[in-house]
Amino acid sequence: MAKKKECIAMLLAGGQGSRLGALTKSVAKPAVSFGGKYRIIDFSLSNCANSHIDTVGVLTQYRPLRLNAYLGNGHAWDMAGRDGGVFILPPYATESGAEWYKGTADAIFQNLDFIDLYDPGYVLILSGDHIYRMDYQDMLRNHKENNADVSVSVMQVPWEEASRFGILTADGEGRILKFSEKPKNPDSNLASMGIYIFSKEVLKKALIEDSVDPESEHDFGNNIIPKLLGEQKRLFTYEFKGFWKDVGTFGSYHQTNMELLDENPEFNIFDQDKPILSNVNTRPPQYLGPNAKVHTSIVADGSRIFGTVEHSVMSPDTFVGDGAVVTDSVILPGARIEAGAVVTRAILGENAVIVKNAVFGSADGNVPIAVLGNEKVYGEGGAN
Amino acid sequence: MDKAIGIINANYDTPDLKELINGRTAASVPFGGRYRMIDFALSNMVNADITSVGIITPYKYRSLLDHVGAGSEWNLDRKNGGLFVLPGSVFGISSPGSRFLLRDFRRNMVFLSRAQAQYVVITTANVIANMDYKALIEEHEKSGADVTMATITATEADQDLMGVELEGGKVKATFRGVKPGDEAFIDCFVVTYSLLLKILEWYSAIDYLDFFEVLAGDYDKMDVRTSKVTGYVHSVYTADNYFKRNMDLLDPCVVDELFRDERPVLTKITDTAPTRYAETASVKNSLIPAGCMVDGTVENSVLFRGVKIKKGAIVRNSVIMQSCTIGENAVIENVIIDRSNVIAPGTVMKGASDAVLIMAKNELGR
Repeated sequence: MAKKKECIAMLLAGGQGSRLGALTKSVAKPAVSFGGKYRIIDFSLSNCANSHIDTVGVLTQYRPLRLNAYLGNGHAWDMAGRDGGVFILPPYATESGAEWYKGTADAIFQNLDFIDLYDPGYVLILSGDHIYRMDYQDMLRNHKENNADVSVSVMQVPWEEASRFGILTADGEGRILKFSEKPKNPDSNLASMGIYIFSKEVLKKALIEDSVDPESEHDFGNNIIPKLLGEQKRLFTYEFKGFWKDVGTFGSYHQTNMELLDENPEFNIFDQDKPILSNVNTRPPQYLGPNAKVHTSIVADGSRIFGTVEHSVMSPDTFVGDGAVVTDSVILPGARIEAGAVVTRAILGENAVIVKNAVFGSADGNVPIAVLGNEKVYGEGGAN
Repeated sequence: MDKAIGIINANYDTPDLKELINGRTAASVPFGGRYRMIDFALSNMVNADITSVGIITPYKYRSLLDHVGAGSEWNLDRKNGGLFVLPGSVFGISSPGSRFLLRDFRRNMVFLSRAQAQYVVITTANVIANMDYKALIEEHEKSGADVTMATITATEADQDLMGVELEGGKVKATFRGVKPGDEAFIDCFVVTYSLLLKILEWYSAIDYLDFFEVLAGDYDKMDVRTSKVTGYVHSVYTADNYFKRNMDLLDPCVVDELFRDERPVLTKITDTAPTRYAETASVKNSLIPAGCMVDGTVENSVLFRGVKIKKGAIVRNSVIMQSCTIGENAVIENVIIDRSNVIAPGTVMKGASDAVLIMAKNELGR
């Protein structure tokens, strides 16, 4: 029997992230590299570690192998203790057969036994594909103070963009009155961040009932929250102020990486007070060659730079050859830019290669960000 | 029974490392941007599938234990075998340059007798090399030798090693005062387990001597051979060598040889952000780990984690260790700055290329 926990986290990491197609052909979105040395899932896991939540179930489905290998036993996030850990929860077979996770709520429903092992008072539901720093303990404190059944983390979005989000309407006390998915005429600008704290018994009952509802899509936002609102349960908002990004498109992925390079970045990866932890191999330090020029950039270990890097994010083990120029780009682990090549406003996937003297991407801000998929080769003789 | 167990002896006197061993052991002197000396020996052990490793520690062991911990970075936090921190003798070094005092092994008979194996690989912690101990063990086994000493052809840099004289392929004598071209012992050897136990028993009355001092009288009776190691193999027992070996890493070919994928050099991991280069940064021919912030100029230098080079500062031909800050417009040339030092803006520190300055670590800095 596992030790009873006050709060455990369930992290939804099964999504494909299809809008990041070329980067998610072989890996799930949470395992996509971000910010030089991180993977997207590091941010949620580090938030857990920094919030003293030491038991995390990670729900996987789409291409989980690289993600599984990356997570290991959770040691990298200080979670491999005797009582906690990171547990990978893929769909599994039972006596009545085997089924894929049919939605976010179904994924948790199928793992209610896992939650019961720890018998927590509260369950934190997270998404594995957001970039942010948040103290979940503060949200939990808020949840308890409100004597809430469910707390939903929200943030203010500009009114004109509110119709792109799941919008929550709350009263002056923060009690949620209404949830509207992408409303045409929003009456609130509080957008749901897809982060929930449930009191366990409420969650369990709702998921069991939802599982037999033939009309349900088994989704937290679309089904569980409206259902509980209909039952007059106590749902409260928890307003988050700070940096939060869903890097779901190439544009937002590129821009969010670029923002890390600002002199005073809104999201500071250098803050060692609440460090972002990651699982990295030991690589030798980076080497900058005799003619290297590197400005306004971040560079990770194992990289070798002989050319010029301006305003770019360089992940571990990248290579920039003599005379090559990389500008305004995000270069993923192991990617090579050979001598004389020019890469501008681009994302290069893992182990992608820009061959000698090839030109990739454009400085024209009206042209979409150029993307070369993982393992692809661009230029003379290359597959693209 | 394991094929081989390992012993890393870190208990020897290295006065020539000067300020670099203030408050730390020679084994835990930081090296190469993010490593410590002992990482090479420890990684070589585990890369040869040796899963029981004893480290004989000198008395200033705090930084060494801080670094190796329970051995988890080297996968040595195991149920069967693992990392064993062993006490070294406090005094009684037989002669200057002695690195394998019998007493250090005899004090740890419990470790030796419990960790049974066919062979024992013994090394110091100050050999900078990615060595294939598996091949060394195999050669020892095939030749049937009692002891196999790893050797190199000495260069100018290797004068503090012990020379080896051979006759008919077997070691006949050892000597001090190695000259370039001589065959020199790189402080790493394989000994047959049962023989090691016997030697420790035979010479128990004179255990204040070095392993190779007692062997000196027995080269006619014992089968002691050498195994020549090629490639990048150097030991670091002096500050001068320390500086030069760090500078060697500015050659990417040396880095490729030392830090190869199939036999990785493992070290304690600290989570730091990637290194940030500001618009004003100018960095050439330098080795820089993650976690630094560079706003100034760095040339022909090795930085360690968490170093900050402020705007207008110039660092040339220097080694700047962990968590140092070089203030605005400071000029640093031919200097080793040990960890946690804060150099005030405008400071000028210049050593000579053949006599680098050393600034000792700031003991209580972060």
